[in-house]
Amino acid sequence: MSDQININVNGSEIRTDSDQLIIEACEDSGIHIPRFCWHKRMDPVGMCRMCLVEIETPRGKALVPSCTTKVSEDLIVDTESEVVKKAQEGVLEFLLINHPLDCPVCDKAGECPLQDQTMAYGPGESRFVEDKRHFEKPIPISEIILLDRERCILCARCTRFSDEISGDPLIEFIQRGNKTQVNTFPDEPFRSYFSGNTVQICPVGALTSTSYRFKARPWDLKKVSSTSNCSSMGCSVELNVSQNKMLRILGEDNEFTNQGWLSDKGRYNFEYLHSENRILKPVLNNDSTNEISINESMELISNEISADDNSNISFIVGHNSTNEEYYALNNFVENLNKVNKDQNMNVYLSDDYLYEGFFQNNDLLGKVQDLDSVDTIILWAQDIKDNLPTLYLRIRQAVKNGKKLVIFGHTNTAMKELADSYFGQEIISKNLEFNVEISEIPNFNELINDKNVLAIIGKSSPIQNTNSISNLINYLDKNSNLKILNCFSKGNTFGALQNIDLVKGLNEFINEFDGSKNNIVFTIGSNPVNSSIHSNQIKDKLINANFVISLDLFKNETTELANIILPTTSFGEKEGTFTNLEMRTLKQNKILPTPGSVLNEWEYWSMMLNKIDIENNYESEFELNLQLCEEYLDKDNVPSFDNLNKPSNLDGVLNSKSINIEIQNVEPEKIEILFVNRLYGDSSTQINSPSISMLGAERFIEMNNDTFIKHNLSSYTVNLVQGVSTLQVKIKINNHLPNELIIAPLNRRGFRDIDTTKPYELIEVKNLEELSVN
Amino acid sequence: MKETLLLTKHMRDFPENSHNIDVYEKNNGYSALKKVLKEDNPENVINEIKDSNIRGRGGAGFPTGVKWGFLAEDEDRYLVINGDESEPGTFKDRILLERDPHQLIEGVIITCFASNIKKAFIYIRGEYAKPARRVQEAVEQAYEKGYLGDNILGTNLSLDIVVHLGAGAYICGEETALLNSLEGKRGEPRLKPPYFPAVMGLYNKPTLVNNVETISSVPWIINNSGKEYAKLGVEGSTGTRIFSLSGHVRTPGNFEIEMGKSFGEFVDTFGNGIKDDKKVKAYIPGGASAPWFTGDQLDIKMTIDDVANAGSMLGSGAVVVMDEDTNLVYAAKSIVSFFAHESCGQCTPCREGTTWLEMILERIASGRGRLSDISLLVDVCDNISPGLSWPPKMTTICPLGPSAVSPITSLLDNFSDELMKMLPTKIPIAQ
Amino acid sequence: MSWDNELLERAHKIIELYPQKRSALGPLLYLAQEKDGFISDDSIVEISNLVDITEVQVKSVSSFYSMYKEEQTGTYLLSVCKSISCEINDSRSVINSVKEFTGLENYETDQDKLFTFEEVECIGACGGAPAVQVNYETVEGLTPEKTIEMCEWLKNDKPEIIVADQLQNKFGGTKSFDWAIEDNTGSAYTVPGFQNIGTAKEKDN
Ligand SMILES: Cc1cc2nc3c(=O)[nH]c(=O)nc-3n(C[C@H](O)[C@H](O)[C@H](O)COP(=O)(O)O)c2cc1C
Ligand code: SF4
Ligand code: SF4
Ligand code: FES
Ligand code: FES
Repeated sequence: MSDQININVNGSEIRTDSDQLIIEACEDSGIHIPRFCWHKRMDPVGMCRMCLVEIETPRGKALVPSCTTKVSEDLIVDTESEVVKKAQEGVLEFLLINHPLDCPVCDKAGECPLQDQTMAYGPGESRFVEDKRHFEKPIPISEIILLDRERCILCARCTRFSDEISGDPLIEFIQRGNKTQVNTFPDEPFRSYFSGNTVQICPVGALTSTSYRFKARPWDLKKVSSTSNCSSMGCSVELNVSQNKMLRILGEDNEFTNQGWLSDKGRYNFEYLHSENRILKPVLNNDSTNEISINESMELISNEISADDNSNISFIVGHNSTNEEYYALNNFVENLNKVNKDQNMNVYLSDDYLYEGFFQNNDLLGKVQDLDSVDTIILWAQDIKDNLPTLYLRIRQAVKNGKKLVIFGHTNTAMKELADSYFGQEIISKNLEFNVEISEIPNFNELINDKNVLAIIGKSSPIQNTNSISNLINYLDKNSNLKILNCFSKGNTFGALQNIDLVKGLNEFINEFDGSKNNIVFTIGSNPVNSSIHSNQIKDKLINANFVISLDLFKNETTELANIILPTTSFGEKEGTFTNLEMRTLKQNKILPTPGSVLNEWEYWSMMLNKIDIENNYESEFELNLQLCEEYLDKDNVPSFDNLNKPSNLDGVLNSKSINIEIQNVEPEKIEILFVNRLYGDSSTQINSPSISMLGAERFIEMNNDTFIKHNLSSYTVNLVQGVSTLQVKIKINNHLPNELIIAPLNRRGFRDIDTTKPYELIEVKNLEELSVN
Repeated sequence: MKETLLLTKHMRDFPENSHNIDVYEKNNGYSALKKVLKEDNPENVINEIKDSNIRGRGGAGFPTGVKWGFLAEDEDRYLVINGDESEPGTFKDRILLERDPHQLIEGVIITCFASNIKKAFIYIRGEYAKPARRVQEAVEQAYEKGYLGDNILGTNLSLDIVVHLGAGAYICGEETALLNSLEGKRGEPRLKPPYFPAVMGLYNKPTLVNNVETISSVPWIINNSGKEYAKLGVEGSTGTRIFSLSGHVRTPGNFEIEMGKSFGEFVDTFGNGIKDDKKVKAYIPGGASAPWFTGDQLDIKMTIDDVANAGSMLGSGAVVVMDEDTNLVYAAKSIVSFFAHESCGQCTPCREGTTWLEMILERIASGRGRLSDISLLVDVCDNISPGLSWPPKMTTICPLGPSAVSPITSLLDNFSDELMKMLPTKIPIAQ
Repeated sequence: MSWDNELLERAHKIIELYPQKRSALGPLLYLAQEKDGFISDDSIVEISNLVDITEVQVKSVSSFYSMYKEEQTGTYLLSVCKSISCEINDSRSVINSVKEFTGLENYETDQDKLFTFEEVECIGACGGAPAVQVNYETVEGLTPEKTIEMCEWLKNDKPEIIVADQLQNKFGGTKSFDWAIEDNTGSAYTVPGFQNIGTAKEKDN
């Protein structure tokens, strides 16, 4: 930590960290210095020259950029002198001479720093009588982003973001001097998982989102802070709504999580909320014409539940419910159990296999921020860039700041360049087991012995044997000062684990399903028939079940099999809490009205209990939250709505509730194909969000070049054949993969029929005829 | 007034083959290197350079010995020779590269020995194809003869030199832009702090950046001692300097002289006066970035400090003389266009301001000026270079932006009548 | 792929000169320009693979520097200096004579792809103003008449290798300094002739 020093700004003393920039120190003391290029999460470039201030030096007063000049003891700063004002007005005039006068049709108008500064400081009439620079008006630079180079003020925020932060420099300055412009390469669009951040940080309307274009004016927007469901990082967001429609999601700077950034999925996956495909009334037997009232539906369900004392009641729950909803579900199960002791009730999380994780020892649990303080980061997990994109950004940042990164396995090839040590096929088998003793891994011990280590640990593949992970953790625990970040990546998984007493994986649903009994299955915000590697078996079970109730937003492969579909609320339509991967509870807020006769999940549980004459003791999310909080011991940090709504807690509070997962260990199977989840896939929400619906359409597999050659392939389009099923796929060469290992996207259409433990064939697609058949 | 030949002696003595390694060797070439290798005391070399008081010949005039002393410790350190010579009026590095490449190479080896550097780059502007070929040929000869590579002359000194070609960007003469360029990036100057080359230079490693002429002086200094060098010239501007003389003089060229004589004497002696016996209207004392002096100021002494005190700079040592018939508005426009074309574009005032100035001058030159343009020019200049002081306040990342203002302030300060003549006498009523 | 093995081999040799691959970017762009007369998108893709950066990063660099051309150049690139020493020594008339002879405006290339004309900033030949470069080979002390003669010669003789000394002897005048050393090396493309990029050419006498 740095020392505190005094500086003098505009005549007042300010105390500040000695390693801060003048602009930061002033900002922290409420003195705003205008700026365009500086952004607190990126390296300063000192390009726009808007932030000039005067400082006293031994050689008299000097004008310096406050974004590149560090504070020093007793520094005297003037941010308002005549000289400063003149310089800033000069810069503004320079920026405006080539800036179009199209504010009335610009998405940024009303929240544009350039416009604001011009009002505050700017020169009136233009003295520039020459022609302005002209460029073709907005050009699409990807499926979701438009670029208007005439509006660009060349602040290099977008280019720096893509280079420094996201590490995919696909947008750059072209030309030099007065001809400089931002652009992408003609054949290589701005296809980045993080491109939307550039729209948010562009200080003018040069970069805009297709989804937001001409949709609203900032002054018409209603805004609320919330927490994204996109991954278990729980990124802080601001929801922007106009006329009851969600129009935009912005990243909020939460020091502990996303630090302002979002993945494009987190940012753009919201249009589904207003899709006409949403289910707005309970539906009977998957027949849209057969809509029933909520009351009727409750009647039907409670009859089913009470019909047989010996029923098996299963709940398959997804990752997008709030803690309160999980709590209400748990409460429902408990209450049912109380009145009907013979019924067998089980809750399954919609994960193919759940594993225990490392929760036993609370002291070992790490925080995201540990990334910035440890010596070494160990990564053994699913593909982080695709599954925890903002955590990926934080790891990149940590590595940039000198932390050592060690990667095990074959799923994080995208980060290989960042890693100090990358343990691929020599160390880790295709089956994700160690080929050598951990202590014998070359150059490993010096990275961990007696070092502070943060291990980001999770299963790389659903069918992976977890022994190797446990061995690694044991070894690390013995030899280093270890912290663990359990890498369950989906939505509010941690909320589910904390609030439901016993959860299992889908594999156990299949095992425990007893066809001889009366089976009632609830699916709650989950579509296992599409999303699981066990889809076929699950489908069988659901067909065989006596009664299936689906709580969902959209019709899908699972709801098709339901006797009753109950429409539920989604993100932005409900209030609640969310627990992220470091057990930080964050608030989710409601800003949209509930559509149609849609209800919250918990309302259904409550009504069902009422129907079967069990008294329930909550009537709102608020009350649920209060009850849930009773289980927390640390009273100052209870994740109550009241507590979380305090300004000081907007970044969330860490909770201390323990997690205990008990599962049967799974026998390891041979991995022929490694399934990974891609950021974009075929979830109902994405498919119903037009701006991003196509981004998850491509079907491809990855392999290294040797494997490509070994399979005697010459074209990059092949049929992946396994038994009777054939899937046409593209091949991407990824030379970081081991020989003979193929990686396939789990969440893309068609892939779930493939058995990753069985051999396959790759057959070249020879001609176009074959192509068009498929 | 006479030339004092240190750096240009060899090429004068052997005009036809001064570039040849055998000729160079026969005439005392590489003797300075052998001397330092024999003494094997790097510290001494640095001390000789310090004693010589030589100041950098690239334009900024920073004391070379001090610069070498700043070089941070590191396993990997680099020397980069700045041969980007692009300041209009300047062609003195060109002659050193073309006609005495071994002198430079010897200087490079000695410098690397002194600072424990194992890899050096000679960055030559892309337009200098022929000089670059000469240097490369010389580098290859030096490898063959064991002056470069591993175990130089049987010692445990090792050094590799790569000759690297620029590609048409004046700004790459600025040392940090040059390093970016050498790293395969856009030639944009870096922020100082933190990117002082001596600490975070090429590939973020400590790096010495020195001008061709500076390093070409090293062999002479080693052979004759720093003290001898310091005796030449005047205090603060020791040694000799190669001045590039161009413009309306009868005999332009490169002339190596001790600093301290007046510009008038220099122009008369070496330029043989002005063509057609015209008078000097104005002259540029140190390259296009330098504010102009008038024909009445020819008695200013050619030293770094005298020129600075008179409100300009000796810069790259380029003297451009403009006679009484020169259209100074065109002249100023030419220089402003140069800077507008060469701005890297990072800083708003430089990127937008230089082009705006160019447009205004273009308008005036083509008869479409307005009376208000005078105050507009002044104010735009002031917004690029606040206070219009000299030396300029550094309000941009590098000094290029403020440099563009020099010709305009020169014009307005001393020749505003020329500008006024090109403006309409009345404000048109209808507008 | 668009680069043949010979070119790739040269590329790899260049890359080896530098501690970091990316430093070879500039020289590799010269190879691209030698190949096509400009920096083609295909070459950008090729180079981006060679030095491990994205295409747009290559483009960002190539478009920064004046000597990498975005459009195809003719066989002879005529670069006429317009900076201060040349400007006051009447470079305008040299510019006009080139324009007149070729019918080209600044940055244009004729239909036969013989000439590309450009006005450039100082080429370090100020003592020999006005100065011109043909494929980066310098001629000093030109007059409008000699300039036209030179263009005619280029057009009729179509020399394969442009050598500064030959141009200077035939068409030049006042020099910045005594060139002294006899030299018959030059360049054969619209890139500087230079050993390290394999473009230096020697002319037989
Ligand atoms: C815009 C600009 C252009 C420059 N051009 C050159 C140049 O062409 N050659 C050069 O040696 N130095 C040039 N310099 C100075 C260099 O930044 C640096 O000071 C010099 O190379 C250091 O070498 P020296 O100490 O030996 O002079 C330039 C500086 C600026 C700001
Ligand atoms: S597009 Fe926006 S963010 Fe990018 S440089 Fe231009 S103004 Fe800055
Ligand atoms: S002053 Fe001009 S040339 Fe220098 S860094 Fe700024 S924009 Fe680039
Ligand atoms: S904010 Fe400091 S220069 Fe742009
Ligand atoms: S000004 Fe034309 S060559 Fe220097």
